[in-house]
Amino acid sequence: MRKPHLRLSLLVSCVSLLWIAAFATPPPRESLGIAPQDENYFRSSVIKCKDGSKQFTRDQLNDEFCDCPDGTDEPGTSACPGGKFYCRNVGHAPLTIFSSRVNDGICDCCDGTDEYDGKANCQNTCWEAGKAAREKLKKKIATFKDGVAIRNQEVEKAKQAFAKDEAELAKLKNEEKILNGLVEKLKEQKERIEKAEEEERLKKEKEEKRLKEEAEKQAIEDKKATQDSQEGNVDATLEKSSEVQLQEGNDHRTEVEDGNNQENTKSDEGDEVDDQGNIESYIGDDEPIDGLSSTPTLEEHVVESEDDNMIKAASRDDSAAKAASKTSEEQDHAPLDTEGLSKEELGRLIASRWTGENVAPKTDEVRENAKEEGDEYRLDTEIPEPAEESYDGYNSETDEEANRYEEDDFEDERDEEYNEDHIDPADSYYSDEAGKSDHSDLTDSGGSSWLEKIQQKVQSVLQAFNFFKTPVDLSEASHVRKEYDDSSSKLSKLRSRISSLTEKLKHDFGKEKEFYSFYDQCFESKQNKYVYKVCPFKKASQNEGHSSTQLGRWDKFEESYRIMHFSNGDRCWNGPDRSLKVRLRCGLKNELTEVDEPSRCEYVAILSTPLLCYEERLKELQQKLDDMMRQPSTHDEL
Amino acid sequence: MLPRSLVLLQLLLLLSSASAWKKDEFRNCDQTPFCKRARSRPPHSLPSFSVADVSLSDGSLSALLLPPSSHPLHQVVDSASHSDSPDSPRPLLLRLSALHGGILRLEIDELETASGSRRRFRVPDVLLPDVDDRLRLRLPRLGSPAPGLSTFPISPGFEAALRHDPFELVVRRSPSGDPVLSFNSLGLFDFETLRPKRHGDGDGDGDGDGDGEWAERFRSHTDSRPRGPQSVSFDVSFHGADFVYGVPEHALSSSLALRPTRGPGVDSSEPYRLFNLDVFEYLADSPFGLYGSVPFMLAHGAGASSSGFFWLNAAEMQIDVLAPSSAGRVDTLWMCEAGVVDAFFFVGPGPKDVLAQYASVTGAPAMPQQFALAYHQCRWNYRDEEDVAAVDAGFDEHDIPYDVLWLDIEHTDGRRYFTWDRALFPHPEQMQQRLAAKGRHMVTIVDPHIKRDDSYYIHKEATENGYYVKDASGNDFEGWCWPGSSSYPDILNPEIREWWADKFSLQSYKGSTPSLYIWNDMNEPSVFNGPEVTMPRDAIHYGNVEHREVHNAYGYYFHMATSDGLLKRGDGKDRPFVLSRAFFAGSQRYGAVWTGDNTADWDHLRASVPMLLNLGLTGLTFSGADVGGFFGNPEPELLVRWYQLGAFYPFFRGHAHLDTKRREPWLFGEKNTALIREAVHLRYSLLPYFYTLFREASVSGVPVMRPLWLEFPDDKETFNNGEAFMVGPSLLVQGIYQEREKSVSVYLPGEQSWYSLRDGVAYGGSASHKLDVREDSIPSFQRAGTIIPRKDRFRRSSTQMVNDPYTLVIALNSSLAAEGELYVDDGKSYDFEQGAFIHRRFVFADKKLTSVNLAPANSGAKKFSSDCVVERIIVLGLPAGAKKAVIEPGNREAEIEIGPLNLRAGSSPVAPTIRKPNVRIADDWTLRIL
Repeated sequence: MRKPHLRLSLLVSCVSLLWIAAFATPPPRESLGIAPQDENYFRSSVIKCKDGSKQFTRDQLNDEFCDCPDGTDEPGTSACPGGKFYCRNVGHAPLTIFSSRVNDGICDCCDGTDEYDGKANCQNTCWEAGKAAREKLKKKIATFKDGVAIRNQEVEKAKQAFAKDEAELAKLKNEEKILNGLVEKLKEQKERIEKAEEEERLKKEKEEKRLKEEAEKQAIEDKKATQDSQEGNVDATLEKSSEVQLQEGNDHRTEVEDGNNQENTKSDEGDEVDDQGNIESYIGDDEPIDGLSSTPTLEEHVVESEDDNMIKAASRDDSAAKAASKTSEEQDHAPLDTEGLSKEELGRLIASRWTGENVAPKTDEVRENAKEEGDEYRLDTEIPEPAEESYDGYNSETDEEANRYEEDDFEDERDEEYNEDHIDPADSYYSDEAGKSDHSDLTDSGGSSWLEKIQQKVQSVLQAFNFFKTPVDLSEASHVRKEYDDSSSKLSKLRSRISSLTEKLKHDFGKEKEFYSFYDQCFESKQNKYVYKVCPFKKASQNEGHSSTQLGRWDKFEESYRIMHFSNGDRCWNGPDRSLKVRLRCGLKNELTEVDEPSRCEYVAILSTPLLCYEERLKELQQKLDDMMRQPSTHDEL
Repeated sequence: MLPRSLVLLQLLLLLSSASAWKKDEFRNCDQTPFCKRARSRPPHSLPSFSVADVSLSDGSLSALLLPPSSHPLHQVVDSASHSDSPDSPRPLLLRLSALHGGILRLEIDELETASGSRRRFRVPDVLLPDVDDRLRLRLPRLGSPAPGLSTFPISPGFEAALRHDPFELVVRRSPSGDPVLSFNSLGLFDFETLRPKRHGDGDGDGDGDGDGEWAERFRSHTDSRPRGPQSVSFDVSFHGADFVYGVPEHALSSSLALRPTRGPGVDSSEPYRLFNLDVFEYLADSPFGLYGSVPFMLAHGAGASSSGFFWLNAAEMQIDVLAPSSAGRVDTLWMCEAGVVDAFFFVGPGPKDVLAQYASVTGAPAMPQQFALAYHQCRWNYRDEEDVAAVDAGFDEHDIPYDVLWLDIEHTDGRRYFTWDRALFPHPEQMQQRLAAKGRHMVTIVDPHIKRDDSYYIHKEATENGYYVKDASGNDFEGWCWPGSSSYPDILNPEIREWWADKFSLQSYKGSTPSLYIWNDMNEPSVFNGPEVTMPRDAIHYGNVEHREVHNAYGYYFHMATSDGLLKRGDGKDRPFVLSRAFFAGSQRYGAVWTGDNTADWDHLRASVPMLLNLGLTGLTFSGADVGGFFGNPEPELLVRWYQLGAFYPFFRGHAHLDTKRREPWLFGEKNTALIREAVHLRYSLLPYFYTLFREASVSGVPVMRPLWLEFPDDKETFNNGEAFMVGPSLLVQGIYQEREKSVSVYLPGEQSWYSLRDGVAYGGSASHKLDVREDSIPSFQRAGTIIPRKDRFRRSSTQMVNDPYTLVIALNSSLAAEGELYVDDGKSYDFEQGAFIHRRFVFADKKLTSVNLAPANSGAKKFSSDCVVERIIVLGLPAGAKKAVIEPGNREAEIEIGPLNLRAGSSPVAPTIRKPNVRIADDWTLRIL
C-alpha cells in the first residue's frame, strides 16, 4: 500500500514540475480566472451575464471594464466588485478568490496567477504548500479513519445503552404500578388498623372517662390554664426572634445557617419558618427581583444593618454602578456620596463604572468574612477583583437558597440526589452515578424478584392480619405499618429513578443516539488557573480552586450536532448571562481544548470526539486528497 | 430575613439610582461660584467701565479700561500706588488690533504692576506662531468720527468702533454702520483683578453653594484657590444672526444650532459648559461639558451673512445663549474662571470666510494620511495576537475592506503605555508586519496617566526629572486611573513635550514599527478620584500655572506632543496619525478626534450628526463617532444604520466597550453582513473625493462634513437642520434615526436638482421629499452641477487602491454643466508641500469635459506622478442619444452606453456611461461627447 503511493506522488511531482515550467507565462486573457468547469460558458462570441441582466461580446471578456454587475465578464480582472477569480494552483488545491485580490500586489494564489500585471513578484509555491497541505490532509484522513471505527462502536454502545435504559424505564413503570397498588392496599390496611385501634382506644377512654368523670373535671381545667400561658410565651418568643434576625442579618451566612437550623427544627417553630419561607420564595419567584436585583438587595441589607454610613455610601453607589446596566432610563437618583472614601477607593469606584470591577473595600471585607465562614460560599472566579464576585456570589447563593426552599416544597416528589444536584453544582457531576448506586436495591437485585418478594410478603402480612380479632394484635399491626413504610420508601425511590430516567431520555441525543454516553460524562480542560468543566446535557463551569462559576446550563445542540450550547450561566456584571458554545470536531478521544472568551462572558471551546468522525466527511476528505493528487495529470492531458 | 416592604424599598432605591450619568458628580452653574456670580447679573445692571488714554502704539490701538468706581486721573497718574490699596479697583489695559482677512483682536489684561504681583495666564502655543507678524495690519491712524468714539478699518467694508463711555466695542459694516458683532453692548463686562487675600475673605461655606472666592468645596473635594477670585465675563452680540453654532463639545441630539439657555420662553437650562470631562454614559442631549472645548462660536442669519467670535482661554468657561429679544440678533454671555480676554472677532461675511478667518488664527486641519480616511476597526479589547489575526482574516473572508486595527488599554503590560502584555502579544512587530503586508496599519493607545511604578521607565524618568504635574503642596500629583495610582506629565512644559515625543521613536517604543500609529484617550485628563473625575484645579503646572487656568488645553498639549513624537519618528517625512479624545482650539493641527464614549442607541446615532457638524465648524473636521455606539449592544438594524451613516463621517471607526458582545461586521447574519459591506464599500469608493475634501480643509479650513447652510447660506430651511449634512459641496446625506422607519422626509436645498446615489433618480431642489426608507442605504444625493471622483474597485485596504482607475460621476445641472476637483498625492509624506501632488479641476460644459490643472506651475521642487486613468465616466442628466466621445489629444474614440450608477449586483443601467476613456488623471485632456 505504501510503496505504490510513494511512487505515484513522485510521478505526480515530476509531471507537475513540467507543467509549471510550461505555463510560467500568464495564460491568455480570455481564460484568466475562469474555472475549468466554466470554460465552455465563455466559448461563444456573445456571452450572457450569469444574472441575465445583459450580454457581452467575447472582446469584452476580461477587458478591464465591468459590464455585468455580477462580474461574469471579468473573472480575470479586478474590474467587477462582485467577481470571482479562479486559480488552478497545480500541485495544491484550486482556489476561488474575490476579484478584489487580482493585481493588488499581494500574492493570494500559490501559483501566483492572481498577480500578472508585473507589479508583484509572486513565486509559485504550490508544490511545497500542496505537499504540506496533503500531509496535513492525510493525517486528518488517518484520524478520521480510526475515528469512524471508534464512532461506529460508540454508536452501537449508545444505542444499546439507550435501549437498555428505555427498557428499564418501561419495567420500572410497570413495577411502580404494581408497587403502588401494594402500597395502596397496605395503606388501606394500615388505616383500617388505625381506625380499629382508634375505636378501641375510644371505647377504653369512654369507660375510663365514665369512671373518673368527677375526679377528672378539676384536673382538666388546670391543664387548660397551663396550655394557655404556654402559647402566650411562644408568641413573645417569635416576635423577639424576628427582631434579632433583622439586626443580625448583616451576615448573609447567618441567614443561610438560620434557615438551615430552622429547617432542622421545623416542627418546633412551624409558624416562623413559614413566614420566612414566604419571603424567600417571594425573592426567588418574583421575576423582577430575581437574579440581578435581588442580590444588591441583600448587599444593601448587609450594609444597612452594619449601621455604617461610609459603607452604606460605597455600597449604594456600587449598586448604582451595577444598575447602570441600562435597565432604566431614569435620570434622577440618589446622589453618589463619596464623602469619606479614600482617594484610592474613589478612584477604583469611578473606574469600576467602565470595567464593572468592584472596589468598595468594606463590601470586600464583608465578603472575605463570608468566605471564611462558609465553605459553600461561591466565588466568581472570572475576574479577580472583588465586587462583582461578591455580587455574583450573593446572586448564586440567593438562587440556590431559593431553589432549596423551592425543592423543599416538592421534597416528596423528588429524590434527594436530584435536589442535591441543584444545590451544590460542585458535587453534582456524577450525580446520576450516585443515583444509580443508590437504587441498587431496585435494579441490581435482578429481574423482578425483589418485587415478587415484596408481593409475597405483603400478601402474607395482609392475610395474617385478622380484623375480627379484638383487641388489635399489636405485633400484627406494627408488621403492617413497617411493611407500609418500607414499601412506600421503595416506591418513592422507584419513582425518583423513573423521573431521573425520564429526565435523561427526553433529551435529543443525535440522529443515532450517539451522544447518549455524553450524558454521564464531564470533560475538563485546565487553562492557566482555571479548570473548565463541561457536562453535556447538564451544565458547564469554570473552576478555580474551590470556587466555581457557572458558564451555562445545557440548552441544545446547534448546527446539526456540531455545537453544544450552554446558556443562562451566572450573570456578568453589566453584561449578558454567561454562555458557552462547545464546537465538536473529529478526534480519537474525547478531549476539551481551546476554551476561549471572545467577547465578555461568551465562551467558546472545542471538544474533540470520535462521535464527530462521520463517514461521509471521511469520503469527502479522501475525494479532496484524490483531487489534489490527480490534478497535475489532468492538466497534462490538456 | 428582610420584611417584604424593606425589600421593595431597596429595590426602588436601586432602580432610581440606575441612571448612568451622574448629574451630581458634575458641578452646575449654581455650584460654580464664578458662574453663579456672573449669571445672576441682569443686563445693564453693572456700573460701566470706560475707556481712556486711547493711543496708537505699534500699529494697534491701546487704551486704559477704567473700572466703574474709579476716577480716571488717579488711575492713570499712579496706577502702582493702587496696588498698595487693593480695595480700589485697578484699571485694565486694552489693546485692539486688526488682522488680515477680516479679523479684529481684542486683548484685555491687568496693567503690569509693581513686582510681586502675578501675571495672569495667557494660553501659549495655540495661535499660529506667526499670527502677530503675519496677520497684524499696522494701523496708520485712528478715526474719531464723534467725540468719545474711536474707529479704524478692519478689512474692506468693515470697521471697528470703540465707544469710550460706557465702554462698548462694535464691529460694523462701513460705511453703512450696520453692526455685525459687538462686545459689552449689554454692559456685562466684568474682570476680577488679582488681589492679595484680605482679612475676612471667606474660605467658602463648604457646601459648594457659597461664594467660595478663596476656597471652594465640591462634594468631598476642596479647591484651595490660593489666588482668589479672578474670573472674567462679558457679553457678545451677533447682529443679523438667527442662530449660533459651535463651542463644542456638547451632546446635541435635538438641534444643530445652540438652543437658547436663558430668556423669555426658554425653559431653565444650564449654560453651555466648556470644561473637558470624562463623562460616563453621557446623555444624548445636554449643555454639560464633554471631552473637549473650542471657545469659538459662529453666527448665521437670514441675510446670508455669518460672523464668528473666538475667546482664547483654557479655563472653565460657561456660555449663555439668550433667547432673541429682537429678530436678527443673538446675545451671548461668556463667563470664565480665570485668564484674560484674548478674543477674535471674525467679520465673515460668508460662512466659509468665517471658517477661513478662524483657520488663519488657529491653523487649518492637518493633511491626514490617506489610510486614515478609510475604515478603522476597534474594540476594547482585541485580546491577543490570535484575536488580531482572526479579526483581520474575518474581514478578508467576508470581502470587507478595512485599513486599521486598534488595540485598547489591555494590550499593555498592566496599563503601562509603550509596553506590551507579552503573554498576549509576544510578537508585536511580526503582528504589525503581517498587517502591513496587506497594506494595513495598527493603532495602539497611549494615555497620559503614568503608572506609579518604580520599575516602569517612563515613571522613573518623569519622577527623576520632575516632569509630573504637582499638587497644591508641591509634590507630584497622584491620581487614580486605569493603572491604579498614576501621575500626569506636565505637558504644558515644552521640554517635557520634547521628552514625551521622544518616547515614540522606534528605539524607545519597544515592539513598535513604522506602521503603528497612536490613540490618546483619557487626556481631559481623566482622574477617577479627582473632582468631577478630573485633575484638581489647584494642581500646579510649569511656570506656576494653576491647573484651572490651563485645564481645557491639557489634552491639546498631550495630543500635540504625541503628534510631534510620530513626526520625529518618521524623520519629518511621515504624517502623524493621532486620535485624541480631549481637544481645544487648534487640535485640528495634530490629528483626529472622536465624540468619546457614546451609547448604542438611536438618540446617540442622531446626536452624532450635530456633534460632528459643530466640531467641523470649529476646525475639527477630522472627527467621528464610534460606529455602533461604545456602550451597550446595538440591534443589528441600528448597527447597519450606523455603518451607513458612519461611512460619511470624516473619521470612520467602529468601536465597542469591553462588556459588549462581539460586533465585527460579519456576526449578524449574511444579510446584515452584506449591508455593512455595502456601506463600507461606498466609503472606499468615495475615498478620492474625501481625500480631495481633506485637502480643501487643510487649505481653507472648510470642513469635510458640513451643515447644509454652509453650502446654501441663504436658504433658511437649512439653518437648523441637524439630520442631514453635506459631504463637501457635492453630496447630501440624511441619516435614518429610527427603528423600522418606513419613510423619511428629506429637504433638498438650492435651485438645482439632486441625483440619488443609489439609483441616479433625480429630485427637485428647494423642496422636501417624502422618500421610502430602504434597507440597503440611507438617503444620499449628488448635487446637480458637480463631478465626484470615485474608485469603484474594492480592495482589502485603501493602500491597494493606489493604482486603481477612477470613475467620474458627472451630475449635470439645468444648463447641462458641472464641475468638480480631484486632489492626489502620495498619501503619506509632506512632499506635497513642495509641489508633489496632482490637483485637477474637471469642467463639463457644452458636452465637453475638460481636465484643468489646478496646481501652480512652479509649485515646488518635487513632483508626484501617477499612471492612474479614468476607466468610466457616468453622466447623469445627459439627454439620451450620445453614442461616442472623442478624446483629445490623440483623437481617440470611446463608446458610450447606458450603464448602472453602481457596480452592485442587481443594479440596473440608468445613465450614459463612457466606457474606458482611459485618460490619465495627471494629464490635460478634453473629451467631447458626439
